[in-house]
Amino acid sequence: MSLNEELIQIRELTLASIKSRYRKTWAGFIWVILNPLLMFGVQSLVFKKFLKLDLPDYFLFLIGGLLPWIFLTTTIQMGTPVFVNLSQLLRSFKINPMVILSSQVLDGFLNFIASFILILLPLYLLSDRSFLSLLLIPIALVPLFLGSLGITITLSILNVFFRDLNFVMGFIFNLLFFLTPVFYPKEFVPHEYQWMINFNPINYLIDPFRSVIYQNDIGIFFIAVLKGMAVAIGFISLSFYTWRRRRNEFYRIL
Amino acid sequence: MSSTEYSDPIVSVSQLKVYFELEHYPNRGLREVFISSLTHPIQYFFKTKELFYALNDVSFELSKGTRLGILGVNGSGKTTLCRCLAGMMTAQSGKIETKAEIRAIFDSGTGIMPELTGRENAYLLARLFFPKLKEIDLVVNEAIDFSELGHFIDVPFKQYSKGMQSRLLLSLISSKTTDILILDEVFDGADMFFKTKIAKRMMNFIETAGATIFVSHSIEQIKEVCNKLLVLNQGKVHYFGEIGPGIESYINLKS
Repeated sequence: MSLNEELIQIRELTLASIKSRYRKTWAGFIWVILNPLLMFGVQSLVFKKFLKLDLPDYFLFLIGGLLPWIFLTTTIQMGTPVFVNLSQLLRSFKINPMVILSSQVLDGFLNFIASFILILLPLYLLSDRSFLSLLLIPIALVPLFLGSLGITITLSILNVFFRDLNFVMGFIFNLLFFLTPVFYPKEFVPHEYQWMINFNPINYLIDPFRSVIYQNDIGIFFIAVLKGMAVAIGFISLSFYTWRRRRNEFYRIL
Repeated sequence: MSSTEYSDPIVSVSQLKVYFELEHYPNRGLREVFISSLTHPIQYFFKTKELFYALNDVSFELSKGTRLGILGVNGSGKTTLCRCLAGMMTAQSGKIETKAEIRAIFDSGTGIMPELTGRENAYLLARLFFPKLKEIDLVVNEAIDFSELGHFIDVPFKQYSKGMQSRLLLSLISSKTTDILILDEVFDGADMFFKTKIAKRMMNFIETAGATIFVSHSIEQIKEVCNKLLVLNQGKVHYFGEIGPGIESYINLKS
């Protein structure tokens, strides 16, 4: 199969899975929006009202970090068990496992965009910021999408070998949430702890998105995108490496 | 006889080797890894691995018109060989030379989206098998007719029995000719009548296309369908040639 043919396969699988999901229940869409909405509501209450974090337009700041964070963690959580769940399909005929996973991630991504428009637009209307910068959002989403894809592919291959990986990752992401500048700006972190932020790759995938939503500085934005792309390409390479190394064992154990 | 005709081989396999590193006590979870690295650190970090050769120096050639049967006990490397031919696994050494388009089915009782109907699954599968196909309606409708599923075709796929799933998948994979078709123990789900029907269809299209490879435990089926036989034993070619003597050598191997 050429890359072109695989892209057709990804498109068809994504369309079919969207169709399948909304046949099951339309309420599924409400669920998709409800989850980030509740996260956002509770966190803005706690950090803005209880802890009184002092930042201008804190709601926009928070949503700029929280939406990509939710997308990333949901994608990983949903994607990691995919190969094990679809093992029968993968064993039964030749289809590139990456095609199946990409369609799942793309499906989640489209959901993410829908919920993001519904949450972000009202917030923007309430603030006095210009809508113009929002045009850069598609660029900011590229590193986020590719990075999430790379992480998810790598983890779902490993999950075939370590079946409790998803459980462990859930725990790790609970810890990472506090070590990633999602609800606080990285400037709040004392100098001697800055390395924790700098070595956290998730940070670089989220940053471009927040930069568009919150900072409105084109120079900072493009630097953030470049760093994000570097990290995303790193994760994609890791996923290719893992696949090449584990391929035969993958089919043997699956 | 087609097997004596001289023609360029449609696929040639030479000295194919595939091995796996087997651990004596494999860990199936991170929790186990964590525990055994703490309780038995020495055994864990210096554990012995054994090389297991799934395929060891396998060589053969197929010419056009061959209907190759593959026999062998469980674990003899049949499926590994087919997965290598299909391009799913990669060999550590040796090579497979072919310009043919190869399609393979390893398990016919599978659908993709259980919530969608049989027809919708059929369209999806057709797209996955033949991404660039123009006349997709034609192919899918022909396959649906061939499957004889009748009004069940518009029922959600999750309500299908294994045999019905198998009918749909086999009808689709055989709806377009291909150079080489690999069927790895796929007839178990389908009933006798459908097996005969699909075998006929395969025969027809072997005449127009290249070759088929057929893995089965049933000697009867192999006799019925194939004109050449490969017997694998512990990853090695035990026999390659005419059917009759091949089956004899397979039976001797077992006893």
